[in-house]
Amino acid sequence: MGELRGFLKYNKKVSGYREVKERLKDYREVIKRLPQEELTQQAARCMDCGTPFCHSFGCPLANLIPEWNDAVYRGLWDEAYDRLELTSNFPEITGRICPAPCESACTLSINDAPVSIKEIEIAIIETAFSKGWVVPQAPRRESGKKVAVVGSGPAGLAAAQQLRRMGHQVTVYEKDNAPGGILRYGIPEFKLEKTIIDRRLEIYRQEGIEFEMNVVVGEDISARYLRRKHDAVVLALGCRVPRPIPVPGSESEGVYFALDYLSGATKNLYGELSDREMVTAKDKTVLVLGGGDTGADCVGTANRQGAKKVYQFEILPKPTEWDKSWNPEWPYYPKIYRTASSHYEGCERRWQIKTKKLYGRGVSIEKGIFCEINWSKDSAGRWQQQEIPDSEFTLDIDMVLVAAGFVQVEPSKLLKDFNLQLNERGTINIDEHFHTSAEGVFAAGDAVSGASLVVKAMNQGRSLADNVNEYLW
Amino acid sequence: MNIHTGLYDPSFEHDACGVGFIANVNGEKTHSIIENSISALINLEHRGAVGGDMKTGDGAGILLQIPDEFFRATVDFTLPTAGTYGAGMFFLPPEKKLLKKSISLVEEATSEEGGIFLGWRDVPINTEALGETALQSLPTIKQAFFSFEGAQGEILERRLYILRKTMEARAENAGLDINSFYIPSLSARTIVYKGMFVSTQFTDFYPDVTDHRFKSAIALVHQRYSTNTFPSWPLSQPFRYIAHNGEINTLRRNMNNMRARESSISSPYFGEEIHKITPIVNPDASDSAIFDSVYELLVQGGRDLSHSMMMMVPEAFGSRYHISEDKRAFYEYEAAIMEPWDGPAAIVFTDGTRIGATLDRNGLRPGRYVITKSGQVVLASEVGVIDIPPEDVIEKGRLAPGRMFVVDTEKQRVIKDNALKASVSRGKPYRHWLEKNRIELKGLFGLPSPAHLDKETLSTRQRAFGYSIEDMVDIITPMALKGQEPIGSMGNDAALAVLSDRPQLLYDYFKQMFAQVTNPPIDAYRESLVMSLMSFVGRERNLLEETPEHCRQLKLAHPILTNDDLNHVRNTYIPNFKVKTVSILFPRSEEEKGDLQNALERVCSEVEAGIDEGCELLILSDRNITADQIPIPALLAMGAVQQHLVACGKRHLSGIIIETGEAREVHHFATLVGYGASGINPYLVFESLVDLKQRGYIPEDITIEEATENYINAVKKGLLKVMSKMGISTLRSYRGSQMYEALGLNSEFMSSYFPSTASRIEGIGIDTIEKETIERHTSGFRFDEKRLDHLDSGGIYRYRKNTTKHRFTPLAIIKLQEAVRTGSYSAFKEYSAEINDIEHNLCSLRGLFTFKDADPVPLEEVEPEEEIVKRFASAAMSFGSLSEEAHTTIAIAMNRLGAMSNSGEGGEDNQRYEALESGDTAVSKVKQIASGRFGVTGEYLVHAEELQIKMAQGAKPGEGGQLPGYKVNDIIARVRHSTPGVMLISPPPHHDIYSIEDLAQLIYDLKHANPKARVSVKLVSEVGVGTIAAGVAKGKADMVLISSGEGGTGASPLSSLRHAGSYWELGLSETQQTLVNNNLRGNIKVQVDGQLRTGRDLVIAALLGAEEFGFGTVTLVSIGCVLMRQCHLNSCPVGVATQDPELRKRFKGTPEHLMNFMLYLAREVREIMASLGFRKFDEMVGRVDMLNMNKAINHYKAKGLDFSKLLYQRDRQESVPIRCIEQIKPDFSTTLDSRFIKEARSAIENHKPVHLKAEVRNYNRTIGAMLSSEVSRRYGEAGLPEDCIKVDMKGSAGQSFGAFLAHGITFTLEGEANDYFGKGLSGGKLIVYPPAESKFLAHKNIITGNVNLFGATGGEAFINGTAGERFAVRNSGAVAVVEGVGDHGCEYMTGGAVIVLGQTGINFAAGMSGGVAFVLDENQLFDTRCNLEMVDVEQITEEKDEEFLKKYINRHIEYTGSRHARHLMEMWEEIVPLFVKVMPLDYRIALMKAEGEAKQVQGVNNG
Repeated sequence: MGELRGFLKYNKKVSGYREVKERLKDYREVIKRLPQEELTQQAARCMDCGTPFCHSFGCPLANLIPEWNDAVYRGLWDEAYDRLELTSNFPEITGRICPAPCESACTLSINDAPVSIKEIEIAIIETAFSKGWVVPQAPRRESGKKVAVVGSGPAGLAAAQQLRRMGHQVTVYEKDNAPGGILRYGIPEFKLEKTIIDRRLEIYRQEGIEFEMNVVVGEDISARYLRRKHDAVVLALGCRVPRPIPVPGSESEGVYFALDYLSGATKNLYGELSDREMVTAKDKTVLVLGGGDTGADCVGTANRQGAKKVYQFEILPKPTEWDKSWNPEWPYYPKIYRTASSHYEGCERRWQIKTKKLYGRGVSIEKGIFCEINWSKDSAGRWQQQEIPDSEFTLDIDMVLVAAGFVQVEPSKLLKDFNLQLNERGTINIDEHFHTSAEGVFAAGDAVSGASLVVKAMNQGRSLADNVNEYLW
Repeated sequence: MNIHTGLYDPSFEHDACGVGFIANVNGEKTHSIIENSISALINLEHRGAVGGDMKTGDGAGILLQIPDEFFRATVDFTLPTAGTYGAGMFFLPPEKKLLKKSISLVEEATSEEGGIFLGWRDVPINTEALGETALQSLPTIKQAFFSFEGAQGEILERRLYILRKTMEARAENAGLDINSFYIPSLSARTIVYKGMFVSTQFTDFYPDVTDHRFKSAIALVHQRYSTNTFPSWPLSQPFRYIAHNGEINTLRRNMNNMRARESSISSPYFGEEIHKITPIVNPDASDSAIFDSVYELLVQGGRDLSHSMMMMVPEAFGSRYHISEDKRAFYEYEAAIMEPWDGPAAIVFTDGTRIGATLDRNGLRPGRYVITKSGQVVLASEVGVIDIPPEDVIEKGRLAPGRMFVVDTEKQRVIKDNALKASVSRGKPYRHWLEKNRIELKGLFGLPSPAHLDKETLSTRQRAFGYSIEDMVDIITPMALKGQEPIGSMGNDAALAVLSDRPQLLYDYFKQMFAQVTNPPIDAYRESLVMSLMSFVGRERNLLEETPEHCRQLKLAHPILTNDDLNHVRNTYIPNFKVKTVSILFPRSEEEKGDLQNALERVCSEVEAGIDEGCELLILSDRNITADQIPIPALLAMGAVQQHLVACGKRHLSGIIIETGEAREVHHFATLVGYGASGINPYLVFESLVDLKQRGYIPEDITIEEATENYINAVKKGLLKVMSKMGISTLRSYRGSQMYEALGLNSEFMSSYFPSTASRIEGIGIDTIEKETIERHTSGFRFDEKRLDHLDSGGIYRYRKNTTKHRFTPLAIIKLQEAVRTGSYSAFKEYSAEINDIEHNLCSLRGLFTFKDADPVPLEEVEPEEEIVKRFASAAMSFGSLSEEAHTTIAIAMNRLGAMSNSGEGGEDNQRYEALESGDTAVSKVKQIASGRFGVTGEYLVHAEELQIKMAQGAKPGEGGQLPGYKVNDIIARVRHSTPGVMLISPPPHHDIYSIEDLAQLIYDLKHANPKARVSVKLVSEVGVGTIAAGVAKGKADMVLISSGEGGTGASPLSSLRHAGSYWELGLSETQQTLVNNNLRGNIKVQVDGQLRTGRDLVIAALLGAEEFGFGTVTLVSIGCVLMRQCHLNSCPVGVATQDPELRKRFKGTPEHLMNFMLYLAREVREIMASLGFRKFDEMVGRVDMLNMNKAINHYKAKGLDFSKLLYQRDRQESVPIRCIEQIKPDFSTTLDSRFIKEARSAIENHKPVHLKAEVRNYNRTIGAMLSSEVSRRYGEAGLPEDCIKVDMKGSAGQSFGAFLAHGITFTLEGEANDYFGKGLSGGKLIVYPPAESKFLAHKNIITGNVNLFGATGGEAFINGTAGERFAVRNSGAVAVVEGVGDHGCEYMTGGAVIVLGQTGINFAAGMSGGVAFVLDENQLFDTRCNLEMVDVEQITEEKDEEFLKKYINRHIEYTGSRHARHLMEMWEEIVPLFVKVMPLDYRIALMKAEGEAKQVQGVNNG
């Protein structure tokens, strides 16, 4: 275990962000790192619990957090990496973007500040990269079986690597220019630099995973052909259909879905999209609808593009403000008011705001009418909203970004060709072995469970791989 | 009646007793000897017990010389001259046909053996004296007489011996078992009268013994207290040579060895007839009977009476004993021939002319003797059993540990220990023989060189042997760093091996047994000098001979061999000592199964071939595993070889050493040795140590050599711990003793490889074990799929998802806390659903039960929750382990519910006896009395509603514990009557409970100390716990608690946490069955605890027979515990189990939380009750017919389980209750205390002094406790003013004289006292001196028994004479003056002062952490007898010490009139320098610190 009573001796430390002024000028990562000595101390705060909630309840991947904490405390970075690598296919990514339910569930979160698990995680994997420990692990034996993985988001990538390491020949099909899915195109550069993904993909390639880019399965190649060419097909399509907002005028020019906006920004950064094709917030008054993480990403991106002013409205009430280090809802991820790095960069946030109407004249949106609402429960216990009288207000805006979540898997020819059953939520139905209704076709990730955390998708990808492997043997 | 069905097995029966003898030294035969011996027997009656019918005794008997005159007068045929005929006592079957058959069997055998059958005599008996159960099994009792032409003396004895053996063999062939045909004695010298009654019925039953013509010079008596009452006439004592008060813990080992040896015994005395006397032992007999049979063989085989006893019950002869080299050599030589019959024992033995007694090495049974001027010697478990005028006494003594003495009526002398043993140990040149023949390899056990590390393949091999990260980091590393086993907390809720989805090591299916009640565990640390790991390895030779070659064996100091050691043994050329290695690997074949079994057969035959080739040592090796060569589980290989060799009679011809990569934790080594291994080389551990060193887990300041040595030391300590918890002192007798219970292995498998180990619920067999073995091996070598070059997490000690299943999942903890905090029953249901989810989390046996269908009743008709919770108790968790906040929160919650809370073993702050401002009370209703007796004062006892004697605790049954000094803060010290900062030790045994009758005595004491409280006894489940519970019931406890070995919140060595003790499902069921079968259940309640979590658990327990329920872990989780399992580290982050003031602030639990839990639990119970059709809880208790086993579970291992023994129910007899219906209220109205209370009323009520007088006898026990309870109830600890109640007594006082005596009461005793004098003395004053008429030197003679002042917290004692063993053990406040003490004086003392004006025994001050002792060291040898580990011995230099001594010695003179003390005071200046002061090191530091602080405070005040 870490140091006995280390949690009483050392305080939690976090690295924090680069200066706002400085970071707004570029798209580089906003987060800083703690030096290694500090991390040893932070790891010493781990109590190596008899029942580690971080590992067993918080982390969907069941990362062996106490084990790598202990190794870091002992200075055994290589062993820490070994333990980390066991459950995670790309910790350098989760270490950057995961909301860290592990820390919310950390036993210390009951009445103290949790162990800085995320900081330690990223330090382990970055150390491993810098020391050259992250090497391809090609399988020791080829099974001779072929697997197609459709989609290269977290679930697809995790499944692909697991399956490859089990000895199968894996081809990943991706409709975009480069693999990564939501990781690449959904998460802004300042939170996850794409070179991080590329570094990992290089390992994948060296392990022998094939990537077929710009292929829309079902159109460029037929589903039947794909199935015939492979012993198993894995669908990791994501859950890309955004939730529309029921607001008159929302179809106007200048109203964009967040993901389209964000991926455009990234594509532009990497030369996949010209400046002209890209939607930019430069010199615009931007309204982000939706108070979640994606909304925050839009705020950060808009500010970097040079927006004049950014608003972020959320229809739900403002979560409880909480300035204590401990988690009032331990071990759950608490519903508390959070401030993302992007919010510090300039943004007006409001809650309980309903968008009543958006007005566009000619090509672009010009203003919106809003009001304040109250939430209360009706007799059946359902939440109901009531407009607050006389709260209506109008705002001049040039651009609206809708970040209201996602509802379902994109309908496609692929789904139709495999004749896949979808459920009422619009995601793919699978059995307990991740098997879809089509023989030899498996699915995992957001396509199955709806939009959720990267770690959850990864975990599904890994579990799917075990099942596919069993299927193939 | 087939009593073997269900979980009860007669082989679990225990007994203990009163023993004694009387002899005329000059050999004169008198009838008065018999009369006296019977009155002695009657006065020992309280040491016996009666059964459920309240009349059937457990047995009593007398062994006498042949009463020639009487026989001549009463037989209707002519007897030859005395000494030329043998008389036999026969227990024959009552049925006519069988009786006839038996009679002719006897007669035929006689003529066939060349004897002359002289005739039968019907022994007159009076059956009215018998109880119902005894009557049912009453045999036909006859005597028969035999002669052999011209034979007399030893020759005749031998003929009669062969004749008896022949008859026994014939009877067995004729289908007559020991209960149908039994010969209590057949000899020309002695005859035995015995039966199933209590001593008072003796003369009524056998009128023979009242005939004045019935004369004898010796009489050996025995009064039995058995744990249960299936009547067995043959098993009452005495046997033919001995009577035994004790327990042979290593019986299995001894019996197996005897079986093996039978093939190689020969003797000129028997010649060709040797085969007639085998088998020597009858496995159905009791331990004492078997001991008797072997002793008989040795004596008949030509060894002297004392020599044979010294072989079987050797005293300790380690280097710390100052004994003669010849004697040491003798014992060592004999160690190569026979292992000790280990266990607590007082044995009285005789051959008809000589009679003697001996005590085991630990002195765990009492034996007091008196030698009179008129030429009699009386020895008994207690003094005062017969009246002897004081002026007639020459000497009063006691049997000391390992000592022996004999009365030789032929030589007309009393021969003491030294004389006896010198003549035996110099009878042959043993020392010379040993020096010439014993093999001691030079360099063996030297400093180990680092093992060779093959890092490339290390993890592959580790995985193949099932290593996990936990094994490396949490087991091996701490052992290598600290030289001891790692500690853990919060019990073990991991899935049973047989329910685990992961391949388990075979060791995991075996549970360690442990001593509880019927014999004490030993303190392997503080009493290490009686322990020994030494053994001889090699070929054993003819038992009935003694030659120099007998000791041609390899001596091993301990059984853990380094790689160097093993190479040394393997490669050194030793003449006449051949070594062979047999591989225990097996190839993987295409076959589905059968490979393992074939391999075992191959191993067995190779081993046997090796022995036939003359190998003295065989090494079973799993070195060189490869992907295709799989290791046989080492324990299985050992079991198979052991079993094979025992069966073919070759086990004793060779030693077995195991070279294995598998063994790594203490339990592994302990089981291997327990099943017969002489040595173990854990080579993979040694290699792993090198790896750990390279990876930095072993820090730089510990070299790899040191780490290796530390590891070995940790294993050695662990082995000693395992042995000592079983009550075994020497590895020689532990080896092969098989003190384990198997769980989840089927009987076919067990009978093939572990035939004498109980396995009661069936389970997997060889095929599944093969499957698990291959799976484990494959996971080691399976590189080709996933990258697997790492070790598994393990998840046993710390929860890991997707590894080992645990009953308490993270989700269950979360849901439970949510439920109790938000008051949500639906969250509680989520919690209980999670725990009960056997689909995903089948961990325990109860998961496999289902309820039978029944007609439900409406919920409203079921007993309300508020009633049900009254059956609930919080488990015993001491304030000391828990924070004050947590402890009081629990007490308040339980009190509000009308349920029970438990103080735990650390005493209780007397401020809690007051009600709180809120109207709540934080007093614990249940007060625990544990081995440490911390804070057990008279006041503590009267503030209880229940007094609970903790015999064992689930976390570490059979082990003691210690509270490190840093945890003993001011308040804990105050409550425990100790000093802040000074370590406190809880001894493994209660030093007043070495046997079942001792427990009965403590129950008796406690009922006096608080007549209003009920008394309960806490036991831990293990095979045989039911019979112990029966003993507890007979000891008149009100409740017995069956605790699960898996439970336990206390800190404990990890291997004990996991591997010691069984599960409550089994223990409870066995208890219920045994109590019901014995018709004892109606008078005693049964409580159960151990990982109880949900209503379902409770209902199952109730149906199995429990009416009350205890909760430990779940109680803590309700108030905030998150199962950190680190309570022992004082770092609890939620303030539950810590004394750290900062962390205590984090405690957030409230009484409401716990109340919610208890009420929800009751609600759930209610719901199930309704569905099962029970309206009242009581209706449900014991209704095992409502349970079924869930056959639907499709778990590859669980499907072999069979609960039929658990669910067994004898045909219900309505008259026999299956739950407690009436508790017996003790009647103390006739005791001395009742009289005292009446006569001292004015003192008790108005402080008006009284002075009383009384005559006492040994059956007046526990004098003063009830009187004191009247005082402490009123005045608390302060009691009455000094000498307010004075009682002068005369005579021999019974046990527990002055127990818990309160301040203000003074007892003066002119005479003597038995064991437990001044137990728990709580402020009173005790004075004892010999009768004025006595002529002996008081200070040279014994006056009080063993274990004086045990757990005394205050008061004074003045003893004009010598006291027995363990004087002032665990004293924490009393001041005592005594004129000599036995072994282990002042053991574990933490406070008070002891002045010894004379000799002490060995091991003085062992574990003494506080208080002070002054010893008069006249011959300046004290430091050789003192255990210096924790104390300093110094001169008296300080004036205040001298003043203290003077003051108390003067008081001693004043009170007792001691001549010795007066003499000392007269020459004080010369005497002072001879005194030494014994001062505990920690205590001195703590005192200095306290003094410094006091001075500082003073300084501040003055400044």
